[in-house]
Amino acid sequence: MRHIPDGVLRRLEDEPLAVPDRVSDHVASCERCSARRAEIAEDSERAGQLLSTPQLVPDTEIAWRRLRRELEAGEPARGNRGRPRWRGHSRAVRLPSVSLRAGLAIGATAVVIAGTAAAATLTTIFAPTHVAAVSLNQSDLRAIAAFAGLGDGQLAAGHGQGGPGSRQTGPTTNGFQTLRFGTVTWSSSAPRPASSAAQASAEAGFRVLLPARRPRGVGGVQQLMVEPRLKATVSFNSTAGSLAGKSVTIDAGPVVAAEYGATGGTDLPTLAVATMRRPIAHSTGATAQQIEAFLLSRPGLPPQLAEQIRLLGDLSTTLPVPVPAGARASSVKVGGWPGVLLTDSSNAAAAVVWEDGGGLVHAVVGILDSHDVLNVAQQLG
Amino acid sequence: MGVIGLQARHDERSERREESSEAAAFERFFRAHYRAVVRLAQSVVGDSQRAQDVAQEVFLAAYRRFPGDYQQAAGWVRVAAVHTALNAVRGERRRGKRELAMQGATPLPSPEETVIDQERRADVRRILGRLPRRSAAVLVMRHGGMSYLEIADALGVKVGNVGTLLRRAESALRKEMDRETHS
Repeated sequence: MRHIPDGVLRRLEDEPLAVPDRVSDHVASCERCSARRAEIAEDSERAGQLLSTPQLVPDTEIAWRRLRRELEAGEPARGNRGRPRWRGHSRAVRLPSVSLRAGLAIGATAVVIAGTAAAATLTTIFAPTHVAAVSLNQSDLRAIAAFAGLGDGQLAAGHGQGGPGSRQTGPTTNGFQTLRFGTVTWSSSAPRPASSAAQASAEAGFRVLLPARRPRGVGGVQQLMVEPRLKATVSFNSTAGSLAGKSVTIDAGPVVAAEYGATGGTDLPTLAVATMRRPIAHSTGATAQQIEAFLLSRPGLPPQLAEQIRLLGDLSTTLPVPVPAGARASSVKVGGWPGVLLTDSSNAAAAVVWEDGGGLVHAVVGILDSHDVLNVAQQLG
Repeated sequence: MGVIGLQARHDERSERREESSEAAAFERFFRAHYRAVVRLAQSVVGDSQRAQDVAQEVFLAAYRRFPGDYQQAAGWVRVAAVHTALNAVRGERRRGKRELAMQGATPLPSPEETVIDQERRADVRRILGRLPRRSAAVLVMRHGGMSYLEIADALGVKVGNVGTLLRRAESALRKEMDRETHS
């Protein structure tokens, strides 16, 4: 039998079943063909190594949204002859179960609850130094609303803007809300737009950092807002047992939030970067045991949520980050500081929250994959 | 509303239903093949973001080319990804200095990319840009997971010739890589 051509020896490497048995038999018995086969196999392996790429898992969801935007815009201009304009069904952007605003409201509620507990832990102060994830599902949210005596809608609708006693007097917003166990009153000023990071820094009283490099697809800053300090006081009434007559005051903010649009002229927000002073809480004298016992003994508080609160350990130094149902939470380091990374199940959206050594809490939220969000965070860390 | 008006509304609704159904079919097609297309493109361009740009371009082209029938499109998008990516790296060669200037504006490298990987990928990209197009294509297609039969269809050659093309291409890649290493 004649020697085997290179092309057949090459195919023998990849698809041996497609090569006749006599070829394999010949190679096994022919020193020359066997040596050529080894050389071919070596080249093949080397080519495979050279052409291998990292195990990229592209985000299909984000890519689909990007493609759909182009199709909806009638893109591309060239060569679109005879093709109907795209009329695909519109799919809402999937954030981890809740919108950004609802997430902020939930976060604020969690801060209030944790702050209330933590204030008691140290009697006079709550000064978190790190963040920790706390899972929340819809029933937990309902339970928290019921626990505080709020309707579902009030919990998800935002904070500082409404409520039965909300009133805005000039640039100041004051309000109160009756709770099941007392009242909460708050005062704040209206958010103000800033024209630059320098102006926002001057108004907020801390240095505002914005990412110098943005992930591809993220446009410029759409708006930069300074939310002034929020002061809220929870006063416990006689239904709060041993806490009756006591109060806890939480001082939060200011918050500087920058919202980025998408490239290509669309208004779709793709990235938000927020920085705030860590919340501080003072108590008029409630003890740690009193408040922790009060929180954990409330009827309707889901056992798993109570367990998570217990597992947080020292609440005076821990800022809970609510993790909505369907999102994954993992620990990350940002600039050396511990943080919590939240990722949507499809990796279509992600958020990272951390507190730096200077007492500032940062959050980066994006309709981006977790790598992009972390890359933005690392620029600020 | 008269009979003509009702008929017009009925026609319009039917048309919308068809378009919506076509849109759903295209979305299914996209979701089924997007990752494979990106991987193929990335093996040529070496950068995940550029690979996704290539994939975007390819799927837009597929939408125009295969109205409503995406059965044939699965192989086509893979081949188109390879050629579009090869066009991109050949364009880099022509742009020369401009490419160097652009590298400074490249968005964030992915964290897993090491310096060595980046250098190696840059070498491979240059070589793919220098090799004859058919050799570069067969390398990328085979090492991107396409079968001999699929490659034969894509390149318009007999399946028995794919092995020969591949062998020559791999040999050429080795020689070019050795030259890069020793230069």
